[in-house]
Amino acid sequence: MKWREIGILYRHELRSALRERTIVVNGILIPIFLYPVMLWGMFTAVTFVQGLNEGFTSRVVIEGQLPALNAELRDSLAALPDVRIEDDVADPRTAVSEGRLDALVTLSPASGTPGALPGNFAVDVAFDGSETRSVNARDRVEAVVERWRARWLGELGEDLGLDAADRGVFVLRSDNVSTARDVSEQLLGYMLSVFLIIMVAVGCFIPAVDTTAGERERSTWETLMTVGADRGSIVVAKYLYVATLGVVAGALNVVALMVSIGAVLEPLLGQSGASIEVALSPMAALVMVGAASLLALTFAAAMMVFASFARSFKDGQAMVSPVMWLIFLPILLGGEGSDVNLSVNTALVPLLNVSMMIRDAIRGVFMWEGIAITLGVSVALVVVLLLIARRILSFEEFLTGSFDGSFWRFAKDRLLTRG
Amino acid sequence: MTTTHLQTPAVRVRDLRKTFYEEQRGEIAAVDGISFDAVPGEVFGLLGANGAGKTTTLRMLSTVLRPTGGSASVMGHDVVEAGESVRQNLGFYSASTALYPRLTARETLEFFARINGYPEARVQTRVDELVDRFGIREYEHGRVEKLSSGMKQKVSIARTIAHDPPVLIFDEPTVGLDVMNAIEMVRVIDDLKADGKAVLYSSHIMSEVEKLCDRIGILHRGRLLALGTLEDLRASTGEHYLEEIFVKFVTEVSGSEAAEPGAFGEMTPPRS
Repeated sequence: MKWREIGILYRHELRSALRERTIVVNGILIPIFLYPVMLWGMFTAVTFVQGLNEGFTSRVVIEGQLPALNAELRDSLAALPDVRIEDDVADPRTAVSEGRLDALVTLSPASGTPGALPGNFAVDVAFDGSETRSVNARDRVEAVVERWRARWLGELGEDLGLDAADRGVFVLRSDNVSTARDVSEQLLGYMLSVFLIIMVAVGCFIPAVDTTAGERERSTWETLMTVGADRGSIVVAKYLYVATLGVVAGALNVVALMVSIGAVLEPLLGQSGASIEVALSPMAALVMVGAASLLALTFAAAMMVFASFARSFKDGQAMVSPVMWLIFLPILLGGEGSDVNLSVNTALVPLLNVSMMIRDAIRGVFMWEGIAITLGVSVALVVVLLLIARRILSFEEFLTGSFDGSFWRFAKDRLLTRG
Repeated sequence: MTTTHLQTPAVRVRDLRKTFYEEQRGEIAAVDGISFDAVPGEVFGLLGANGAGKTTTLRMLSTVLRPTGGSASVMGHDVVEAGESVRQNLGFYSASTALYPRLTARETLEFFARINGYPEARVQTRVDELVDRFGIREYEHGRVEKLSSGMKQKVSIARTIAHDPPVLIFDEPTVGLDVMNAIEMVRVIDDLKADGKAVLYSSHIMSEVEKLCDRIGILHRGRLLALGTLEDLRASTGEHYLEEIFVKFVTEVSGSEAAEPGAFGEMTPPRS
């Protein structure tokens, strides 16, 4: 293995790759534009749907009568601009469940002890909790009743000689001690730990297939096998090239997220009073770069081992797809809602450990023992994969591309039986 | 022709064997103990039908395949022990060695010169030489995938000799080429011979072998049935045309499969 040869081959692979549309799209453009487009699309869709729901006029049937003291409440409900009172609806309860009506409001004088209060009443609202516009109708009715109640209590208080300040007792105040940065770290920790892994895998996927199965399909594999370079140098150069594109995809993805999360989310969150502050500490950035590199080295080795058995690009994609699914499994296990944290035990699980390491780093938590174990486990996994690759390379059928089968068949026929 | 035999062989093959294993057919001897030499300034032809073992032999010489038995060396480097040195002294051209479609013609030549160990300081000069020699200048910055098959062929030959190797292997180089490109290929190989290169040329096209090769080895079912100059082969068979000579050898061995190598005693034996 010679570094001069590796350098020549590495530059050659990169140059070829950057001229291939599929690789550029998957490894560069998607990581850059995924978040802005995805976030913009998601929030635009949510805003649009909210607007639609708020724009709907609620179809309401009002049944029953109110005591004379509060009889005007019925007129207040009927006067709402976004509520239409329906008169001719047979079996209104069924109509609500069938979606022909949004709410059935039943007014009745209060019974029992509350009934002793003059003019007291009860309002029953039947609505369909599975329909947004029906829930909106319920909310609109409730808002009117709440305002009516507040006004009523206010008037009662004044009759008793209590002014507004006297009535303001038992105040409940909330104080959110988290900063905008804490909120951002929570959000980033979840999104980045998942998407960084996926994006590094996506960044490795096409190059791994292209540099192995793609070479066979284009008949350049044998050309490369006859050049005056050490075969180990060829493998190392290809491996580093695939890993590089994985790291690049991951890094671009992080930068795109940092930019887009502020530019896209803040204006949207601003409407609700929330704010966001995007910043990563140098240590967190360093841990993330290390994590992305570990992921890329692992994915590159695993994907190349599988893809190298394929004779065509299409076969290669089919052979590497299971690796992609295996990658997603630990990510799901380590997701935000799982309550699984990086510990000495969880650090022993490949990929899951890296996912948790990224999440912790973004939140400013550095569990160094876990990070050290994660590093050791990841390096061990890479070494095992490279040893498998080296063993495979020693088989002539593989070198010439004459082996007609998958990795599993090769493992069964060659590695296990002839061993 | 005889003077070439006195030179040190650039390629030396002794009792070379290659056996493949197939589940249904068992062990298959693709190359069954062949021996020959090729010297600088000589075009050595391997003539045989499809499946005779020509490509397997050449693949062993280019270190893509590992011999099952015997030995072979290129410029004194053993193909098993010193694969990298062998490949640095070798240019290998075949239908299965394609060009990188996304590189330009010039980038292709630069890459193959560098990776085969040509001195970095002289790479650009060498590439310019090749560009002029093969008339590539007009499209040197065009991507290979956009070139016509004739242009690709020129770039492909140029990349084979980019590092100026002393030994060249051409495995069925005219397969799939039109007449004009096939003629051009033959002219290039003649030029390489004049440059003092040792050229191994495999083909099943008799006229090409007849025209190009100084010595010819007739390969059939992994065995070298005959080896010599065209005149030697004519003298031993009494036939004039190579096609008839080839048929005669193959027919004889088919009639007597048990015949041992060397049964055709009048052929020039490999030098020991």
